[in-house]
Amino acid sequence: MHIDARTLPNGSVLEADLCIVGAGAAGISMALEWIGSRHKVLLLEGGGLDYEAAMQDLYRGESVGLPYYPLQAARLHYFGGTTGHWAGFCSTLDPIDFEKRAWVPHSGWPIRREDLDPFYARAQPLLELGPYEYGAGDWQRRDPTLVPLPLDPRVMWTKMWQFSPPTRFGARYRAAVIGAPNVHLYTHANVCELEPNESLRSIEGLRVRTLDGKEHRARARYYVLACCSIQNARLLLASNRRTPTGLGNAYDLVGRFFMEHIEMPGGHLALAPSRAMNTKMYAMEFGQTKARGELALSAAVQRERRILNGTVSLEPSAPDEVAKSTFEWATPELLAAFREWEAHGRTGPPPAGLPAPPPPGSPLFFHLVTRQEQAPNPDSRVLLSTERDALDMPRAKLDWRLTALERRSFRVRYEVIGRELGRSGAGRVQLLDWVTRDEDTWPGTLSGGWHHMGTTRMHENPRLGVVDANCRVHGLGNLYVAGASVYPTGGAANPTLTLVAVSLRLSDHLKRTLG
Amino acid sequence: MNRRRFLGVSAASALAGLTGSARGASAHAAFDLLTLAQPDLLSLIGPQAVRKIGLRYRALVPSENEVHALYTAILAARPWPSSIAGLVEQDFAIGRTMVLQGWVVSVTEARQSALFSLLSD
Repeated sequence: MHIDARTLPNGSVLEADLCIVGAGAAGISMALEWIGSRHKVLLLEGGGLDYEAAMQDLYRGESVGLPYYPLQAARLHYFGGTTGHWAGFCSTLDPIDFEKRAWVPHSGWPIRREDLDPFYARAQPLLELGPYEYGAGDWQRRDPTLVPLPLDPRVMWTKMWQFSPPTRFGARYRAAVIGAPNVHLYTHANVCELEPNESLRSIEGLRVRTLDGKEHRARARYYVLACCSIQNARLLLASNRRTPTGLGNAYDLVGRFFMEHIEMPGGHLALAPSRAMNTKMYAMEFGQTKARGELALSAAVQRERRILNGTVSLEPSAPDEVAKSTFEWATPELLAAFREWEAHGRTGPPPAGLPAPPPPGSPLFFHLVTRQEQAPNPDSRVLLSTERDALDMPRAKLDWRLTALERRSFRVRYEVIGRELGRSGAGRVQLLDWVTRDEDTWPGTLSGGWHHMGTTRMHENPRLGVVDANCRVHGLGNLYVAGASVYPTGGAANPTLTLVAVSLRLSDHLKRTLG
Repeated sequence: MNRRRFLGVSAASALAGLTGSARGASAHAAFDLLTLAQPDLLSLIGPQAVRKIGLRYRALVPSENEVHALYTAILAARPWPSSIAGLVEQDFAIGRTMVLQGWVVSVTEARQSALFSLLSD
């Protein structure tokens, strides 16, 4: 069922067995798991069923570190959350991502990749992905025209990605959630504070506010924060009425270790004519391609070179010396004809004068685009701003920072890829000018993947992590966190598939706990 | 004059400057200068990029900034594979690579590019 919290009498009390705060990919994935159970579930969403500017403004915040996207643009605040504008790129974290790596400070998960495998498999259909198969060989068996580059597996491999349609959780699961008798979805219900009990060992209730000035309480046996990395941290930090540093923050860890994926071009590839005939395995057409490969370095090379994980995608290009935009090479007449042809869905023959495909035997050129993990860094963090939002809650302040390890890893990755593609005869790699420089600074083109991770990191030791291996906040018996904020490290894969898997795992844990 | 013919003329004059001992020092005198100055890279990234790589190598390794030294250095490789292409592959396999003008090339390719740039100056 669905209720707009603005229609409730002021001071209403909402009660349930389980209260999930936030209806994005994590919150909705969890809620779906409880449909038909004997437990009553509250699903509290701060926004409405659709985008509203006033609700989105609650996510506005400061950015004081490295240049970053406006916070209100990076996450969506309505039912379905950021799946409302995600691109659908999915892959698993690699086994090495879960390991403690001596050269990556603060690395290591308290669970292994094998622990997540069954949940990854369950997450696949929720994201409308294909089978739980991420080996290049698996996809080549399905489609023999998908041919991986001849890489030495001791050095490099083809890491597969699958593409969600992309699933818009708000649209895809609205009917299922609203139609569930035991799941009570409240929209425009912004949780502004977690209220602990007298001993500060559990949560007694949540203070819920609406933009029209009403205040309600939500009470449950168990609570799950599923608001995204920045908002989870913000809510814990802002729940500081009883504890000045906020809840779950006895060791000053909440908000720290904010991580992004560094996503930016790093070089070019001139692919040898002998390999240029078939690059289908690495190609992606939005909305069409089910899976594609990206270039990744083996765990052995990462260990030997002491670098972070990452992948490199191949985006079609032309060599820089001859590259021209459509507007440079096309005549106005051809441009008009081309637009007309596109407007009609590219039906019929293309307009005469379009560049011919390269003749057989020509090399192919690609931009190489990196996605690389960020090393966990306690100084990269989310704090509370002195500015308050329309609900009188402190806004978030992001201080995004990187270390020399990210910069070095970026360069070494391209050098290794260049050597291996050269050795195999696949082609030659050119590093962008800034990549070749042995510096710690980043160019103005530095950009992230719009991925937020790590602000309530998972660790068995409360001095080193905010939540335990079951995502329970250390020191609070009934408060859990779902989503990418629990990641101790982010790997190279976009976070959504893993965060859904982790949420399903948490859901199973809570089912056992609730009985 | 097309590039290959131009290179042929340049190579002939350059070869004339090679001492007999230098040519005899290599067991691979069958590799003429023209062949060595035509790296396979040319077909991949084009003459302009190869020339820039060569110029950069010559700037970085001034002791090899002349035809004779480059020719000798390329043919001095041990163990000697069956071909220049094999030598390039061997370079990559053992990490004998350089980053020049951003391109990750084998040292042999770098020297070939330097020869190319010298002979096309």
